[in-house]
Amino acid sequence: MTRRMLTALVALVGLFVALYLALYKAGVIGTLACGTGGCETVQLSRWAAFLGIPVANWGVAYFTVVFGLAFLATTERWSSSRGLDFSLWALTGWGVLFSAWLTYLELFVIHAICRYCVVSAVIVVVLYVLTHLEARVHLRR
Amino acid sequence: MGSNRMETGRGRGQAGVSAAQGGKRTFYMSIAVLLVGGIGTLSYMSTRPTGAGMIDSTIAPIPNQGHMIGSDSALVEVVEFGDFECGACGSFANLTEPDVRARLALTGVIRFRFMDFPLQGHPNTWPAHNAAWCAGEQGKFWEMHDAIFQNQDRWVTEATRKPRKVLDELARQTGVGMEQYEQCMITEKYRPQIQANAEAGMRLGVNVTPTFIIGGRRLPGALPYDEIKAIVDTMVAETRAAKGTKKAK
Repeated sequence: MTRRMLTALVALVGLFVALYLALYKAGVIGTLACGTGGCETVQLSRWAAFLGIPVANWGVAYFTVVFGLAFLATTERWSSSRGLDFSLWALTGWGVLFSAWLTYLELFVIHAICRYCVVSAVIVVVLYVLTHLEARVHLRR
Repeated sequence: MGSNRMETGRGRGQAGVSAAQGGKRTFYMSIAVLLVGGIGTLSYMSTRPTGAGMIDSTIAPIPNQGHMIGSDSALVEVVEFGDFECGACGSFANLTEPDVRARLALTGVIRFRFMDFPLQGHPNTWPAHNAAWCAGEQGKFWEMHDAIFQNQDRWVTEATRKPRKVLDELARQTGVGMEQYEQCMITEKYRPQIQANAEAGMRLGVNVTPTFIIGGRRLPGALPYDEIKAIVDTMVAETRAAKGTKKAK
């Protein structure tokens, strides 16, 4: 399996984690809970929205785009596309910065940790490593 | 030899192509497994009854009202779905609710309604909800509501397995007639009302406490006073504008 395929698969896992959080935020999913648990505190804080849209929804959109681009990169037509690899690299780099900001907020501002957010952040870092290695191949040529 | 080399090269090439095809097959299979697994898990989670342990299906449905502070003629109703054992509800009741009552409910801007939403993960919450209702039978609901939240650390599951001792003491302190209260507690007289409130919340999609319903909007979490005030102000302005439009017609 190639790195691009791995990128697509990891992004798909990230998409489902983000989808879970988005559905939880919408009240469709999740156990009944008091608003003092880690995930509840994070999800109910004012930081749970970015530009008026829940962060989880941004996550769904983000992982969908990464999955879509990585999947395209596995097809023969786009197999030698440098642009696609550099786009994925830039996108996952931005994702790492955004996740770092969210983790900072959890640790030092909200003072609560949501394990699904941590899983999502780890996935973003793995995606960055994979896309970085792929982009480096083009840089070496 | 050249021909042999070419054959070997072709052989390697064919091996490479079949390895690539094998890799693609594994890739597509993995995507299919992830899609089926992910969609299946999310579907299961969204359809399972989250409050099954909270609702006793043998109790017949009854109308739900909760307890109210403020005037019936107030333009906006703020409804709180709360659990007495929930820490977030406790901090709202102790830190924010006094302002909401004094500045919004008692000035006639809103009426504030407390609806029971006992969570299944809180074993001591039912006696507390029963105690509040039994005190309410004697006109002391809000006194008991406040006493229960102010002394939450003394009777919650982490503190004791026998919450009745503390709850009874609080009832006595709020001036509740203990004989009537005791009878009410033993028979769990208001369990159907408490359950009706919780069912109303579940129909509205409440899954976290506290959750506020303000003008049809579901707002989860212990909202700060300023946020409640801003929403209420918007709603009051909208209601007045709508009334003005009707009068003009």
